[in-house]
Amino acid sequence: MERPYQQCALTVMDTIADPDITFDENGISNYYHAFKKAEREFVFTGAEGDRRLKDLVDKIKAEGRNKPYDCIMGLSGGVDSTYVAYQAKQLGLRPLAVHFDNSWNSELAVKNIENIVSRLGLDLYTLVVDWEEFRDIQLSYMKASVVDIEVVSDHGIFTTLYKLAKKYKIKYVLSGNNVATEYIMPRSWLFNKMDHVNLRAIHKRFGTVPLKTYPVYDTALKKYCHDILQIRTVTMLDYMPYNKKAVKELIAKELDWRDYGGKHYESLFTKFYQAYILPEKFHIDKRKAHLSTLICSGQMTKEEALKELAQPLYTPEALKLDYEYVLKKLGLSTSAFEAIMKLPPKKHTDYPIERGVFDRFPVLRPLKPLARMIRKV
Amino acid sequence: MLAIIDYGVGNLTSILNMFKRLGVEASITSDLATIRKAGKLMIPGVGHFDKCMQNFNASGLRPAIEEIKAEGNTPILGICVGAQMMTRRSEEGVENGLGWVEADTVRFQLDPSLGLKVPHMGWTDVSAAQPASPLFKNIPEEPRFYFAHSYHFRFYGEDLSTATCDYGYSFTCAFQKGNLFGVQFHPEKSHRFGMSILTNFAAL
Amino acid sequence: MKRIRIIPALLLINDGLYKTVQFKNPGYVGDPINTVKIFNEKGADEVVVLDITATRDKKPINYRKIAEIAGEAFMPMAYGGGIKTFEEAQKVFNAGYEKVILNSAAAENPALVGEIARVYGSQSVVVSIDGKKDWLGRYKVYTANGSRSAGKSPDVYAQEMEAAGAGEILINSIDRDGTWEGYDLALVKMVSKAVSIPVIACGGAAGMDDFRKAITEGGASAVAAGSMFVYQKKGMGVLISFPAQSLKV
Repeated sequence: MERPYQQCALTVMDTIADPDITFDENGISNYYHAFKKAEREFVFTGAEGDRRLKDLVDKIKAEGRNKPYDCIMGLSGGVDSTYVAYQAKQLGLRPLAVHFDNSWNSELAVKNIENIVSRLGLDLYTLVVDWEEFRDIQLSYMKASVVDIEVVSDHGIFTTLYKLAKKYKIKYVLSGNNVATEYIMPRSWLFNKMDHVNLRAIHKRFGTVPLKTYPVYDTALKKYCHDILQIRTVTMLDYMPYNKKAVKELIAKELDWRDYGGKHYESLFTKFYQAYILPEKFHIDKRKAHLSTLICSGQMTKEEALKELAQPLYTPEALKLDYEYVLKKLGLSTSAFEAIMKLPPKKHTDYPIERGVFDRFPVLRPLKPLARMIRKV
Repeated sequence: MLAIIDYGVGNLTSILNMFKRLGVEASITSDLATIRKAGKLMIPGVGHFDKCMQNFNASGLRPAIEEIKAEGNTPILGICVGAQMMTRRSEEGVENGLGWVEADTVRFQLDPSLGLKVPHMGWTDVSAAQPASPLFKNIPEEPRFYFAHSYHFRFYGEDLSTATCDYGYSFTCAFQKGNLFGVQFHPEKSHRFGMSILTNFAAL
Repeated sequence: MKRIRIIPALLLINDGLYKTVQFKNPGYVGDPINTVKIFNEKGADEVVVLDITATRDKKPINYRKIAEIAGEAFMPMAYGGGIKTFEEAQKVFNAGYEKVILNSAAAENPALVGEIARVYGSQSVVVSIDGKKDWLGRYKVYTANGSRSAGKSPDVYAQEMEAAGAGEILINSIDRDGTWEGYDLALVKMVSKAVSIPVIACGGAAGMDDFRKAITEGGASAVAAGSMFVYQKKGMGVLISFPAQSLKV
């Protein structure tokens, strides 16, 4: 039986966004409370934030001495990564900027990246993944009917970062992830981005093009990064006030950054995925999570969020153009694409997933601490 | 519906692509019934003047299109040689033009000291006559268009010029006579400037 | 002051875009459809697409693919690679291209140039000439993606092509390709002085200064470049760019 519709008293999260959402006696959702908890635990602003950030930066600088780069970061041209690049430079860090080019870049994205790297004097490494391969994995995910098609891009980005970190012995990955603008996200909307087993299984089942250049985060690389290099992810935006509107104005002024008009719209596929595939097939409107986060961090009122949600994700004209473009790029006929849209959604876990050796062999579990010790030695 | 006349010459796909992008319903056609029903006609043209005229004459479409033109209710736009065909003749060949406007198509006579090459090929600034003709309404600033031609219009009698440009000397690159329009440049290959022209034409 | 056409020259191998250095070591640049879409939005003056292995591998032209590429372009498009007959050129025009570019086929069968020009006009036929210095320092024409010597000097050859009906010459320096060392101005000048049709300089450009020199010193009418439009800078990552300012000389 379906539950009656209910929306969070404070945010715009509701029973459509997450059928398992819970509400307290005041009608406030678990998402609000989870946000406030995360904010208390992970966000440090003011003097405390400055101190922690300075410690981190000093450490990164010290450990990166005599290396060509002391940290590494992904650069998509979006607000978060742009601001990270700007802050890193302000703090005197020497990041290697890495861009993962999956052949879906918008002109705005490449222009932003061009402006950022030239204004900040950053070195840019681009991994251009072979489009025939990338298309094949994207199509595999679509045919697999799983929700998180963006795993394909995210897995590639992170793996590229880790591979380069390994190459240059870089221990710190600067991440644009932050609590203030993107903490809220129902689990059912995403899947583990680093699960190479799930990725390979889905591709093996539905794909046809062998993966030769697509970077896979396999067990060996994972072990190296975790245990040998001990890479640390630095979520530096949690150590400073992060107001989206103010930051956009700042990077527009300082770096000639231009707005895409939507979170993660730097990629034409991501735009189509978020504004068409997700709402049409999976009944997911990611704006609810993004806007709710902004409400929780006091950057927006609920009224403003509701007003924005009332706007259509696509105008009919824009949808038609993007629809045709995406299908042309993927080599799908309208009927083939519509058939994919009509497939019943499946869980990622309907396909093989990565399990640690102790999950696979529960009998060995008591040996886990010992194994960890041995690995450290 | 807008009919792009297919009489066997020209890069029709590009024109259709741009209309698609603009959300304008258009089709490439050599079907008389479709042409008669169409709200607007486009006559493309590329290559040799004689070859275009011969094809047009042999297509069997000419009488119907001349009838539509005579009725005067349907906007007709000629592009490049498609517009040159509306003149009386061209120095490029021996075939008669359609003679819809009192003009000839003549070869560039450039002063050799200018060092300019023929064909005139590339992007050139265009100045639209004021007040702007319907095709040039709300055109983006510093309008420029893609040209690729060795011959241009020369008008006699009534001045039908709606835009000029300069290549060695100033020449008419767009004209209008009632519902009849001609442009020497290629709007379908001129980015936002061309889109603006085709949007205006579609809105007539 | 004249507006000078700045032309990204994109190299196709199978269905992917690549960039070479001195016609060798192709590096992957991405999917041509998205790349041309980006150049279109950047307002590139014109785009040249060259399939650099079509002739060598005797591959049929993938008309569907090149039509999909042209479908993103609201600017002039030229295609070259593997065109040997009038019918093939015709199909390229029908795919949405204004110009065909002939290289090996023009050398082997100059009559083809005129055959196409008579129907589609000379402005629609570009002959591309790949030039390289021999061991005596004399410029020589090469065909089949630089693999075969035509045994001719570029100026003489360019004149033959103009006489055959070509409307434009694309002069490419094999030695400078992908080097960011600037155009081979002597080669560009040699060809542009020899013909009265427009000449496009190609090979070695690293910036606007090179463009300007190709026009003022080399006598070219337009400029083409590869590396500087697909890489952030020399030795750096792939990043599509195009000058925001028009070039007026």
